Amino acid sequence: MYGMIEPRPAPVPTRGPLVWLRRNLFSSPFNAVLTVLTGVVAAFVIYNFALFVFVDASWGQVWANMKLFGVYRYPFDLLWRPLTIAAVMMGLLGVMSGASGRGSIVANAFFAFMGLVGVLSVLAILFWPSVRLLWPLVFVAGVLGYLLGRARPRLVRYLTWAWVVWLFGGLLLLYGFVPGSGLLRVVPSRDWGGFLLTLVLFTGIVPSFPIGIALALGRASKMPAIKYFCIGFIEVVRGAPLIMWLFIASLLLPLILDMDANSLPAIMRAYVAITLFSAAYMAENVRGGLQAVPRGQAEAARALGLSGWQTTYLIVLPQALRAVIPAIVGQAIGLFKDTSLVFIVGLVDFFKVADIVSVQPQSLLVTGGVKLEVFLFIAVIYFFFAYRMSVASRQLERELGVGVR
Amino acid sequence: MATRVTAMAPTETRIPFWRNVKTLTVLAQIVFVLLIVAAIGVLVNNVTTALTRSNLPADFSFLTERAGIPIAETPLPYTPRDSYARAIFIGFLNTLKVAIVGVVLASLIGVLVGVMRLSANWLVRSIATVYVELLRNIPLAVQIVFWYAAILLPFPPRITNPVALPGGLLLSNIGLATPWVYPTYRFGAWAPWLVGALLLAVAAGIWRKRSLDRRDVVGRVWPYPLLAFVVIAGVGYAVASMDRSVPADMGFDFEAGRGRGVVYRQTDAGRQPVSYVPVRVSIESAQLTETSQNLVEGRDRVNSTVRFPLLRPHEAESYEMAFADPEAAEAAGYRLHFDSFPSVATIYVDRNGDGEFDRGEEVDPETGRGYNGVGVVLTVTGFERVIVSGRDGQVTTPLFKVPVDDEAEEEAEQAAPAARGRFSAFGQGATESTTTSELEAQTEVLGVGPLVVSGVNIPVSNYDGGARFTVNYLALLLALVIYTSAFIGEIVRGGIQAVSRGQTEAANALGLSSYQTFSLVVFPQALRIVLPPVISQYLNLTKNSSLATLAGYAELFVIASVVSNQTGAAIPIALLLVGSYLAISLAFSVVLNNVNARLALVER
Repeated sequence: MYGMIEPRPAPVPTRGPLVWLRRNLFSSPFNAVLTVLTGVVAAFVIYNFALFVFVDASWGQVWANMKLFGVYRYPFDLLWRPLTIAAVMMGLLGVMSGASGRGSIVANAFFAFMGLVGVLSVLAILFWPSVRLLWPLVFVAGVLGYLLGRARPRLVRYLTWAWVVWLFGGLLLLYGFVPGSGLLRVVPSRDWGGFLLTLVLFTGIVPSFPIGIALALGRASKMPAIKYFCIGFIEVVRGAPLIMWLFIASLLLPLILDMDANSLPAIMRAYVAITLFSAAYMAENVRGGLQAVPRGQAEAARALGLSGWQTTYLIVLPQALRAVIPAIVGQAIGLFKDTSLVFIVGLVDFFKVADIVSVQPQSLLVTGGVKLEVFLFIAVIYFFFAYRMSVASRQLERELGVGVR
Repeated sequence: MATRVTAMAPTETRIPFWRNVKTLTVLAQIVFVLLIVAAIGVLVNNVTTALTRSNLPADFSFLTERAGIPIAETPLPYTPRDSYARAIFIGFLNTLKVAIVGVVLASLIGVLVGVMRLSANWLVRSIATVYVELLRNIPLAVQIVFWYAAILLPFPPRITNPVALPGGLLLSNIGLATPWVYPTYRFGAWAPWLVGALLLAVAAGIWRKRSLDRRDVVGRVWPYPLLAFVVIAGVGYAVASMDRSVPADMGFDFEAGRGRGVVYRQTDAGRQPVSYVPVRVSIESAQLTETSQNLVEGRDRVNSTVRFPLLRPHEAESYEMAFADPEAAEAAGYRLHFDSFPSVATIYVDRNGDGEFDRGEEVDPETGRGYNGVGVVLTVTGFERVIVSGRDGQVTTPLFKVPVDDEAEEEAEQAAPAARGRFSAFGQGATESTTTSELEAQTEVLGVGPLVVSGVNIPVSNYDGGARFTVNYLALLLALVIYTSAFIGEIVRGGIQAVSRGQTEAANALGLSSYQTFSLVVFPQALRIVLPPVISQYLNLTKNSSLATLAGYAELFVIASVVSNQTGAAIPIALLLVGSYLAISLAFSVVLNNVNARLALVER
């Protein structure tokens, strides 16, 4: 009477590596062929790349010129100046990330930078006597800042001012302000270079911020004279490439300002060109934000009795800027990459240093040259910073809910 | 009620003008304009004083002067004797040349990458992600130098040993050359047919569109104009090619010993060179001499290599390679190994005695270097090559020499030792003896239709014939295409994802295949979102081509900066540059506005 029930078939596994493989790589015959083909190509590329990086490449020239890559001709005995600025920056970043807690955008960026600083500290302790103590100091400043931020989160409100002081104080310290003295002597800007110069030029985005907002407000203005001036400026500047503006600035700025061509350093010309160029793009970004603020906001503010300026500064701009932060970060990435164009005005930034290193006599002794190594190296560094920014931008987009409706 | 209204009226009507918004706006604008005008006035004054002080040109009159700038790549005829204006125009054309090709290639790769980013296949998806993230975050300048100085300059073999790609393409460290179709002197007979075909195609398209509209049915328009065009143009080509005879006044003046000649037409004004005419050059027997070299190619040392100009096996009845000094070669034990018959060979010593070339045998164990400076002679019999004359009517061949018969040479030396290769006092005798050693070649001008395919040769140490792309152009194009395609890929991905899932589901429910779903439902809708940002990427690509200076490609900005350095005409050049780029930007925004207008959703 009682029979055995047929055993049920074993359940089809829904997890595990094999299932993953079947789902993601071999879901259909076409997919399987695709996987094999792309796999072979990818393996070929990766194998050859690895072969080059670990076997064929001669990294000696890159390693021997680290100081050039970093600061170019900035004097050895004054390296404490840029590194002090870096230490203060890491300290301020530390306070910010300590206050905002783990997982925040600032903290993620801070930890990435701390990783880099950590690596550089180890290298400095082992190999670079002139900065043996300085890089670890930067690391310690970061740690202290972080601890301080965790202990006193309310410090964050003073940070905006701290950053402004850091920027201008930093530039002043870099230049030096006591002519003839030893430690604070003036370092002419033609000796600045390498990654230091790239970062200095990158700060051109800071002055471009107020100019860009002014241009955007001007473009949205109802006064035709101001409106069309702003439109003209924005469109003309955006219509031509940065390299052309750098070139024109280097030719025309001394003429326009009626100055001797030598008394206006190349870095100033490049800075002006970068700032104005960046401002035009900033204005377009901000305009996007202004248009995204509902009209009702401004109308409600006026109904409450706020003046025109108050409405703009307290109601419209904060909302507009909030909406375009990701776009501004995107623009910052673009500007960071575009600083490599200043070679056209004779500045020796990170990119130009690579060119210089690749034609050094020692580099030419290597069979086939070291161009590939040198440019791979700077590509990796540029990538680290640009990619870090784009990760931050994506996190920002998620947190602000921009683009999610 | 009425009294109240009248009581309030006076306070409302009179607003003092300094508090009236309207007057204030006008005043503010006047002040603003005055400030701007004042600022511009001061600056212009500065510029003019500076210009007069330094005596630099401030107008455009310098444009007609002789430029003296050599340009390697010219879409139109250009020599350094031409004017600055023409040099700058050539630069502008070069910008367009890289921008147009770049836009097409970047779109193709960009769409591919965008679709790959959404693939169900993890590997494909990941590769596309890495591609996009990597290339978007490395400066374009670095990428251009990378392709130019680190890859394209050192890695492909030298021009003496080019990589032969399928289709007759040749790649070397001076660039890529490909066979190309050129219009000949007979093109004029075909041109009216072409114009007629074009007009008929337009007419066929309009007729088809109208007939579809009239019947209110859906159908394809494009096969009709295409068919009309192909039929008419084809018939025209056949008719125009019927007469393939060589005109009586056409001749070919060829100096075999110097390896060059020119195709000409005898006119009243003298000989006029004719471009793109095929000629056949046959040489009964000839010799080429080279010595072996040790080279660095890419990251490798190439030892004991002998490089003759590119000769293909089928171009001659026989090739024979021998040492110039057979006894010495025998004594040293040299042997020859062909790397690519018959142009590239390696000298080696068969040390392990297996009768074959093995790696390492081309290096002298004593010095550690290759066998340098060993003379090798290539004897060619029955050489025949069809060459299409260039834009300037020129035809070039390898520098063949008269074959030297050792015994005959010795006899000649004994008979008249002083007469060879010199002008004797009498002159006559010397001319005779040189004519006997002149290389003889048979040439024939071939008949041709309206178009001719020009193949690529390497007569001496540069490409000849076909279309040539310098390594500078290739590097710039490659970098621009790869960089921009990463951005386009990201835009395409965003556009496809923005099409709502319901559309895909509905298409599937209707029974469309996944390819049909993509190409008929998803992609057309994604296009609407994708096109505006993609067009601004096209503009970026065009503007980014100004980084050409890093690859040594002579486009607008590069030539303009050279001109500015030569003449010191900073202001006119600045105006010219800004004007050119604004014109390009304007052209793009006109296209963008058109596209936006056509794509705009028609809402009810």
